[in-house]
Amino acid sequence: MPKITIDGKELEFKEGQTVIEVASENGIYIPHFCWHPELSISGNCRMCLTEIEKIPKLAIACSTYATDGMVVKTQSESVVKAREAVMEFILINHPLDCPICDEAGECKLQDYAFRYSRGESRMLEEKQHKPKRVPLGPRVMYDAERCIMCSRCIRFADEVAKNPQLTFIQRGDRTFVSVFPDEEFDDPYSMNTVDICPVGALTSRDFRFKSRVWEMSNTPSVCIGCSRGCNVNVWVRDNVIQRLTPRENPDVNKYWMCDFGRTKTFKFVNAETRVDGPFIKENNELVKSNWEEALNLTAKRLKKFKPDETAFVASAFATVEDNHSFALLAKLLNAKYYSYFSYVIPGSGDDILITEDKAPNALGAELVKFKANGVSNDLDEIFEKIKLGEIKAVYILEQAHDFDSYMLDALAKAEFVAVHATNFNRLTEFADVVFPASSFAEKHGSFLNVDGILQRIKPAVATVELDRALDGLAQSRWDKFGTKFDRWAQGKKYDAEPSWKIISALAAKLGKPFNFSTSEEVLIDLTSKNSAFRNLDYNEIGGTGIKIIERKFSEEEKI
Amino acid sequence: MEKIILPDIPDLNKLDVYIANGGFQAAKKALQMEPSEVIDIVKKSSLRGRGGAGFFTGLKWSFMPKVKTKPHYLCVNGDESEPGSFKDRQIFEKNPHQLIEGIIIAAHAIQAQTVYIYIRGEYYRWIQMLQAALDENYERGHLGEKMKQTFNTDFYCDVYIHRGAGAYICGEESALMNSIEGKRGYPRVKPPFPAQNGLWGNPTTINNVETITNVPKIIANGWEWFASIGAPKHPGTLLFGVSGHVNKPGVYELPTGTLLTDIIYNYAGGVPGNKKIKCVIPGGSSMPPLRGDQLEGIKMDADSLREAGSAIGTGGIMVMDEDTNLLDVLVRISHFYHHESCGQCTPCREGTGWMEKILRRIQSGQGTSKDLDLLVDVASNIEGRTVCALGDAAAWPVKFMITRFRDEFEKYVKKEVVIPVKNKIHSMKYTTYSVENIKLPESTKP
Ligand SMILES: Cc1cc2nc3c(=O)[nH]c(=O)nc-3n(C[C@H](O)[C@H](O)[C@H](O)COP(=O)(O)O)c2cc1C
Ligand code: SF4
Ligand code: SF4
Ligand code: SF4
Repeated sequence: MPKITIDGKELEFKEGQTVIEVASENGIYIPHFCWHPELSISGNCRMCLTEIEKIPKLAIACSTYATDGMVVKTQSESVVKAREAVMEFILINHPLDCPICDEAGECKLQDYAFRYSRGESRMLEEKQHKPKRVPLGPRVMYDAERCIMCSRCIRFADEVAKNPQLTFIQRGDRTFVSVFPDEEFDDPYSMNTVDICPVGALTSRDFRFKSRVWEMSNTPSVCIGCSRGCNVNVWVRDNVIQRLTPRENPDVNKYWMCDFGRTKTFKFVNAETRVDGPFIKENNELVKSNWEEALNLTAKRLKKFKPDETAFVASAFATVEDNHSFALLAKLLNAKYYSYFSYVIPGSGDDILITEDKAPNALGAELVKFKANGVSNDLDEIFEKIKLGEIKAVYILEQAHDFDSYMLDALAKAEFVAVHATNFNRLTEFADVVFPASSFAEKHGSFLNVDGILQRIKPAVATVELDRALDGLAQSRWDKFGTKFDRWAQGKKYDAEPSWKIISALAAKLGKPFNFSTSEEVLIDLTSKNSAFRNLDYNEIGGTGIKIIERKFSEEEKI
Repeated sequence: MEKIILPDIPDLNKLDVYIANGGFQAAKKALQMEPSEVIDIVKKSSLRGRGGAGFFTGLKWSFMPKVKTKPHYLCVNGDESEPGSFKDRQIFEKNPHQLIEGIIIAAHAIQAQTVYIYIRGEYYRWIQMLQAALDENYERGHLGEKMKQTFNTDFYCDVYIHRGAGAYICGEESALMNSIEGKRGYPRVKPPFPAQNGLWGNPTTINNVETITNVPKIIANGWEWFASIGAPKHPGTLLFGVSGHVNKPGVYELPTGTLLTDIIYNYAGGVPGNKKIKCVIPGGSSMPPLRGDQLEGIKMDADSLREAGSAIGTGGIMVMDEDTNLLDVLVRISHFYHHESCGQCTPCREGTGWMEKILRRIQSGQGTSKDLDLLVDVASNIEGRTVCALGDAAAWPVKFMITRFRDEFEKYVKKEVVIPVKNKIHSMKYTTYSVENIKLPESTKP
């Protein structure tokens, strides 16, 4: 293999790699603004200038291809000086409005000003003025004074979103980013430009001025907007989700997520419609109850129906663990009807990330569903029989989207309907018992995405059962240092529990406890029952998931 | 001396006159040769590019793939936007058919079937002239498919004029290609070089108008003839565009290596009022200026000028007499590069504007000697750190004007000025101010 020496370290590289790629693979950080691993090389910021033996001028590491025997210095005096000069150039016309900039705290320019800049500006003249607060589209706001013209946003639109809606206009230090006349930047992936913008020139109109970056805690999780399961970070302040941002995962979403996922998949967590504590129906009205009463009532009612009078409707919105314990409950009651509801909108997918299946775990619900001789898994048949009055009790796991009206009409005929729900919706109106389910942001669990990759979610928002500090949730500065009297450190906590936990409690009431005390134990229970889950635990799934559908097992490993 | 580019033949711009004077014989000859033979002759002639960088033309052609797997292109650069440069225009007007003949030979040498002549939009009249010349040559079967019959070969090429829309940067070869492709005139990061990855990703050669116009004569008279004219390492003639304080400004075709003083005093008629020369920019506004008291013995060819601390550029000689205010000159030049920076890369985008601002402040009487050092430093921080050579073009005049005429610039600045400045410090880490020197108002102290 050819070798290159960077800062005295001899490193192997693959033909066709650039210096910056070899460096970053080997943990040598070469500062850069315009280079991005998923975008074409543009070489405009000049921040990655390095000294290369046998090349007379300083060369940019992003566009210089590594060759055998090349010797690169990234810390020499001339490189340090050149970087300081580039930083000075960028800063002379930068408005330095960090105190009111959303990017502050996660800004490359701030970080580099701290690390690579001389600190003193030699420019005495008036800065260049340009348009500020320009809505480029419905979700992205632009500040041309903050923009450093790295062209990342333009290249993203051209190359990743394949929708060239952005361009530079004007020249020289009058240049700024713009859309074409009478057009707007409304691409379904537009907000990724906010993430890759190295400065605060592009901001999310959904998140603008909501929070300082350092006031939020940040928890790795997975988007529930569709079966792609883009990896995300969940940002929380005051125990309320402020925003989602994509988290790098080369096998799933690279660095991206769609605007729908980013803005429309978390607000239900703190919506007014949230189910806060168990509810039971009295005189045709759902009234607030308590766990003991709701569990007792449900156990008592379920016991009264025969197996062929009971149907279980699992959920593509709930985790693998929730669905597995649900299947165990169905087995415990010998149910003859078990299916799950999935939500597919034909034609709504694209060839970038968005899939047609609008639930995060249809594959998981399918894989762990309750199957046995004489058990029907046909959803249409189940609702037909509910309508005919043959099925009398229906137990429904979390459903994020409303059922079709023919299903709701059928449910009106059932004698007993139990529902796990995060929010009140049309379905809960038909329920005799509503259990408050923890949302994806309030529990551990796993989802199986469209490609058969099993991925973990983690709690980011505290509930009554889940303490931020004691249960190891991510904490922001305010969470750590705020006192009881600080309003922000408290926040609203809902009385909700993960479905697997509610089901375990119900099993205990039915006299056959499951003995699960954590979500992970539910998953581990699966490992001996379903070969796809063999040898798995949360550690094994890790931060970026594990492909389990095509996982090949050696002979001895097979069950 | 025989002139290669602009011979003194009346009505040479008429096709019949051009043909009567031996026109298209070179094309006929070249089209019977292998492309590699043509390249070889041009290589041996040591013809160097007339567009500014002085690169060896034959060598440049030889970078094109020998085996053609994709379309090849030839771009002829007639953007001519460098202040002080006005020579290619003469060719469009006075000798367009020799340019067209050169294009045919060059296109054959690099196997390009499509040729674009990129001309600045402001040259509207000259574009019309050249288009008329092209049309005529199409009619005579010198271009297009009919070439095959006329010249009895398998090769033919088509030639299109592309009008620029008013940006100096589109004369830079890669920005020129982007412009032809209909994109923003942004220079491309090199590598890849045009010969591998040019127009629409295909092998492309870019040559200046004057460069190409030399080619027919080299083929007709042989490389030995050409190589023997002027300076051995930079042979041939150059079109020197002389402007500024001379009695007879204009374009003079002279052998390379001609003395600068000879051009100014003999050909351009000397300085009006017999004034002394303060400064000469020898190759277009971006080249380092020379002191008037150091012109003796400077020869006008690439190597001699490099030794003298400047460069041949496009051969645009700008003469400034002793009464010239060099600060005003520098402000004007800096304004040009600030205005024309494409804005793609950081040092040039930000630096060109900054330099102009400092210079204008000095002009307004608010500059100090420190500002002169600052200007030189800013220029040095641009130089060699940019995507294209416009960065250097903007930096050199500032850097060399100030260092070579420091005595004069010191007269424009004061010892001390008081300028109210806010927000001078943006990070405390490496600030040159010691913390004690930063006086905070009482009330903000903890
Ligand atoms: C900013 C800039 C402007 C340029 N403008 C011109 C021009 O107007 N005409 C030209 O022939 N070359 C110009 N050049 C040089 C071209 O990039 C290129 O080197 C030249 O056309 C090559 O032709 P040659 O090898 O025949 O000289 C410019 C270069 C730069 C950096
Ligand atoms: S808006 Fe941001 S990403 Fe786009 S060019 Fe400006 S700095 Fe770069
Ligand atoms: S593509 Fe799907 S998973 Fe990814 S962000 Fe959008 S909705 Fe969420
Ligand atoms: S040096 Fe100037 S003109 Fe050239 S690419 Fe950079 S900004 Fe554009």
